[in-house]
Amino acid sequence: MFRLQGSKTLAVDLTGDAVKAKNGSMVAYDGRMAFKKMSGGGDGLRGMVTRRLTGEQMVMMEVKGQGTCYFADRASEISLVSLHGETLYVEASNLLATDAGLRTGTSFTGLRGGASGNGLFTTTVEGTGQAAIMSDGSAVVLRVTPQYPLNVDPGAYIAHQGSLQQHFQSGVNFRTLMGEGSGESFQIRFEGDGLVYVQPSERNTVGGDV
Amino acid sequence: MSTPERGIPRTSRPEGIFDPMTLPSNDNVNAYTFCVELKGSQWFLQKGKMIAYYGQIDFNGIGHGRFERLIRTSFHSPLHASDWVVAEGSGKMLLADRAFEVNSFDLEDGNLTIRSGNLLAYQPTLALKQSIVPGFLTLIGTGKFVAASNGPVVFMEPPLRVDPQALVGWADCPSPCHHYDHGYMTGVMGGLRSLTGIGGTSGEEHQFEFVGAGTVLLQSTEVLMPEQATGAVPHEPGVPGGGPGGGQHGSTPRMPGQLGDLQRRFGL
Repeated sequence: MFRLQGSKTLAVDLTGDAVKAKNGSMVAYDGRMAFKKMSGGGDGLRGMVTRRLTGEQMVMMEVKGQGTCYFADRASEISLVSLHGETLYVEASNLLATDAGLRTGTSFTGLRGGASGNGLFTTTVEGTGQAAIMSDGSAVVLRVTPQYPLNVDPGAYIAHQGSLQQHFQSGVNFRTLMGEGSGESFQIRFEGDGLVYVQPSERNTVGGDV
Repeated sequence: MSTPERGIPRTSRPEGIFDPMTLPSNDNVNAYTFCVELKGSQWFLQKGKMIAYYGQIDFNGIGHGRFERLIRTSFHSPLHASDWVVAEGSGKMLLADRAFEVNSFDLEDGNLTIRSGNLLAYQPTLALKQSIVPGFLTLIGTGKFVAASNGPVVFMEPPLRVDPQALVGWADCPSPCHHYDHGYMTGVMGGLRSLTGIGGTSGEEHQFEFVGAGTVLLQSTEVLMPEQATGAVPHEPGVPGGGPGGGQHGSTPRMPGQLGDLQRRFGL
């Protein structure tokens, strides 16, 4: 029931069911819709406290009704993700909408999060259903298999799914300190089985210029 | 916007899923992402434009001692040395820049001059040199390079005048020069108008003019990539942008009572 209208607008067909979306991202709808703000991202009281504590803030609304609702945010490109019981890890700022049946939560990412400029925590989406994620420019989906691990620039990472281990790699050496850095000193290495979403643009990161 | 696909559910990801087998080799993944395949070879890369890679690839600053031979043949721009790295190894890497459109171009025993911020990567079979025009780089030789532009690149044939902000670069044109609209240049009133803006300016009085055989590359907006400070060319007489007074008539001492640049501007 999620579909793309062009590449920057998400259209969701609703038949009395509900969808969770980023607060204020509705651009148009036809039919009858009711919008309700969900406190603390809709994770319940415990999730709300966790989000407050971790800084992985996400303001979501619940849209319920009959008809078609259109979502968009700052002309970002949108990718659709289908989940079949697995977990999607996505930065809260890159999550546009999820099925109401999907559970959202917060998880610790370690050093990787600190380097990608998004804090030490990330948002998880799990269950069965669809989610829509946003990127600056069309996202590229890269498959990781045990034979083919993947290295990603922290500033271009937006999301991943599947059973992946991530390692934070730092190539800082004496040349970096001498101003002879490679510009790619910080990388996230993904190993295992899954998909990684990268965007063709780099956020400003702590390690970006090193 | 036409919406022919309305009603057809497009639940699959728009770009598909890529792995090292399905990623293109030295071609675009989508309009904003370019994939370079390395097979033990080397590419020059502007710092921070790599977004992801498969395989074994090392990134090293230009000053790395091992590259001395490579630098000698392919990199002749000391001012830009701190912005460039050498990628070497085997695997596939993705390049992108601020969600600008990226395209690859092939040079065959040719030359091309490009705004330094727009050049993302090039093969070492090309030699990179600084253009005499400040802020531009020239590639000479045979090989592939990757450039970013805001919106698609438009190719035009001279004779042609272009807006300075829309210019990405040019190939084989020997004569890039400034062009000022004539009525705007002459007389005291013209000078006053250009200095103060009083009397109305269209913002289009100044263009770059190209004549001769070649190709001019334009981007379809006037949004520029932020220029990176690259230092200054050596202070030598005859080098544009170098020397005291930025290459102006520095040798003539200014007498008391003379207005200097302002005086020349008004044609006195």
